Amino acid sequence: MAGVKKSPTKKSFFQAVFEHSLEAIAILDCQGQIVEVNPAACQLFAATKKKLVSKSINNFLMSPLNWEQIQGRGQIKIEQPKGTIKTVEYSQVKDLLPDYNLLVFKEIADFNRQATAELKLHHQRVELFAEVTLKIRQSLQLNEILQTAVTEVQRILQADRVLIYQIFANGTGMPIKEAVLPEVEPILGVEFPEEVFPADYRELYTRGRVRAIADVHAQDAGLAECLIEFMDEWMVKAKLVVPILQSFKSQTKTDGEHLWGLLIAHQCQATRQWTEFEQELMQQLADQIGIALSQAELLENLEGVVAERTAKLRQEISERTKAEAALRHSEEQLRLIANGLPVLIAYVDKQQHYRFNNQAYQTWLGLSPPKLYDCHLLQVHGQAEYQQISQHVATVLRGETVTYERDLVLQDGCMHSLSVTYIPHLQDKETVQGFFALTSDISDRKAVERMKDEFISVVSHELRTPLTSIHSSLKILATGKLGSLSNQGERMLKIADEQTERLVHLVNNVLDLQRIQSGKITMNKQACQARELMLEAVQAMKTLAQEQGIQLSVKPSNLVVWADRDYIMQTLTNLVSNAIKFSPKNSTVVLSAEIKSQQQSNSKHRGISYITFAVKDRGQGIPHDRLETIFERFQQVDSSDSRKKGGTGLGLAICRQIVEGHGGQIWAESCLEQGSTFYFTLPELIQLKSDRHD
Amino acid sequence: MTDKNVLLIDDEETIQEVVQVGIEIEAGWQVAIASSGLEGINLAQNQQPDVILLDVMMPDMDGIDTLSQLKTNTRTSAIPVIFLTAKAQAEEKNQFQSLGVVDVITKPFNSMTLASQIAKILGWEM
Repeated sequence: MAGVKKSPTKKSFFQAVFEHSLEAIAILDCQGQIVEVNPAACQLFAATKKKLVSKSINNFLMSPLNWEQIQGRGQIKIEQPKGTIKTVEYSQVKDLLPDYNLLVFKEIADFNRQATAELKLHHQRVELFAEVTLKIRQSLQLNEILQTAVTEVQRILQADRVLIYQIFANGTGMPIKEAVLPEVEPILGVEFPEEVFPADYRELYTRGRVRAIADVHAQDAGLAECLIEFMDEWMVKAKLVVPILQSFKSQTKTDGEHLWGLLIAHQCQATRQWTEFEQELMQQLADQIGIALSQAELLENLEGVVAERTAKLRQEISERTKAEAALRHSEEQLRLIANGLPVLIAYVDKQQHYRFNNQAYQTWLGLSPPKLYDCHLLQVHGQAEYQQISQHVATVLRGETVTYERDLVLQDGCMHSLSVTYIPHLQDKETVQGFFALTSDISDRKAVERMKDEFISVVSHELRTPLTSIHSSLKILATGKLGSLSNQGERMLKIADEQTERLVHLVNNVLDLQRIQSGKITMNKQACQARELMLEAVQAMKTLAQEQGIQLSVKPSNLVVWADRDYIMQTLTNLVSNAIKFSPKNSTVVLSAEIKSQQQSNSKHRGISYITFAVKDRGQGIPHDRLETIFERFQQVDSSDSRKKGGTGLGLAICRQIVEGHGGQIWAESCLEQGSTFYFTLPELIQLKSDRHD
Repeated sequence: MTDKNVLLIDDEETIQEVVQVGIEIEAGWQVAIASSGLEGINLAQNQQPDVILLDVMMPDMDGIDTLSQLKTNTRTSAIPVIFLTAKAQAEEKNQFQSLGVVDVITKPFNSMTLASQIAKILGWEM
């Protein structure tokens, strides 16, 4: 500073600096009184030099400064005439002059403006990126994304032409999207040969090269001659090119990126220096396009998968719809059938509530099916009727099918005979869910049965009575007591007698079979010694056996059966009679009874021991295919048998009815030319006793 | 062979005849004929037969009614009655026997063996 004092010429120099400094400078005395200010300070404090000098600086500050404590730097606030407040940074230069302080002021606002501007610019850029990215990402449609990208770049960069150039596998390419100023020629859709964008260029761009050319003609641009011509053709003066790279996943190679295309900005009206921001923006947008391409590919795959699944679902839905329609159709058909059938059809759940009733409930009983729904059987049928059916309901709910008959007055006011069948509805063949109730009107059948009974009764009387007269008359004639006949006359009489016998037998058998089949007869069961039954049958057949020269033999047995003696005798004599008729002379028919534990098909008799009776002959045998049919009515092995042997063709049918009426079975085994054995089973006494207690 | 008097009550004339001839030839017994239940009851009262052969199905008064009257009449109640019937099945036989008949002979029968059948039922010697 001594130099300053010594060089007055410099004083004027410093004075000039002082006067023209852009920074506000004030010189104060040690009490803070302004001694000197430069024009910048006047401007800062918005006052003339005259107003400022000789005043305390504190007069111009919003909060006074304590000069004794001031050190180096600090901030002060100055109120401007218009009421605005300026924050000012000051720096104190102590001892620049003895007893004087030099204060240099700087507006913080000025100080920060540049930084703020940069920050603002950065913020704008971030916002711009975000905005463009958002716009791009708002769509999943690649076309839309690409178009948005070029439009936005064109808008932000104010470029003359922005395009997306797609590179094909063979190296050729084409601008597929473009945003171009109206006065600039569009380039969209123009195909470019491979030479325009050769493999070495593509390689560079694949590595991520960004090409910013301010002037295509400039030497430092380094463009080949042909490319410059090409640029001129499209009036391109400056260009910015960034690669669009698409990630790929490879099963054979490692994952990587391939050059899908380029994002290019052209300036056609003038050369252009591309800023870092512009390059960055282009690059970021190219990245976004790359991401969008990958996503589009994924989306395409996903759409493929979705389309495939949708097709499958459609097919499934279509099949299901068809199945449901078929089910509805089937249900409708069933309902129509159920409603059309002349029977009562109902479904009752295990709580005994009606779940379905067909229309016949309305016509027969006057009960409307919708009203019956969910009603309890007791509620519908009343106490008295419910008591009658409840035992059957209990049976079916135990899982057994039950059929019973009952008489009921229907809507027509007449008494009808009804046959009711309850069929259990079993889930998993075990648990009873409910039951189906089928009720048919058997009044007509009952009437026919009554007519048949009456008819048989009439036949019984009307045939038997004249037969008695014919039979007896012939027998009387045969005694010769009423006069003798010629030999031929006696022969004729014998024929008449034999045939009458046959007719008597036939009538008896027809009536027997009818009565047994009708179920009207009751088996008068009692304990019977098997051996006694067999001996009795042999005794009854003794005469016939003697006539035919046949021996009858009974094997010893001490077994006892529970059977109707008369009917079992009828069975045994029938079988023995057949055996005699079909045995050769001097042969033996053997009767036996043995115990056999037999599994019967009828569950009621399951596990019961059975006694098997056998009548064995040495006759001609029965063909294998006739062993079953011979137990049917009028089914003899040989149709001439009835004439030759005097049978009626009903004997075995009667035997079967009788045996089955005892819960037994009847069958035959035979060997041609060696003989046949007829078997039938009867339950053993002990088991049947317990059966009786049931 | 002991002489027996048989009363046949049956509306069928052919039956009347073959029974009468058959029994007479076979056993030489006397057979009186009644064509209705009422006539039969009168004859039974007057002639006191050893056995009555009674047809079940007859017009006007059937065999069951006739039997009932015979059994309630002290003069005829002891005479054994045998039913002649075309309806004889086991259960009907039991039912008839419970009414008081000694047995039931089922049509068609052979009148030439009828006397022996009756003798067997009633324990007569022939």
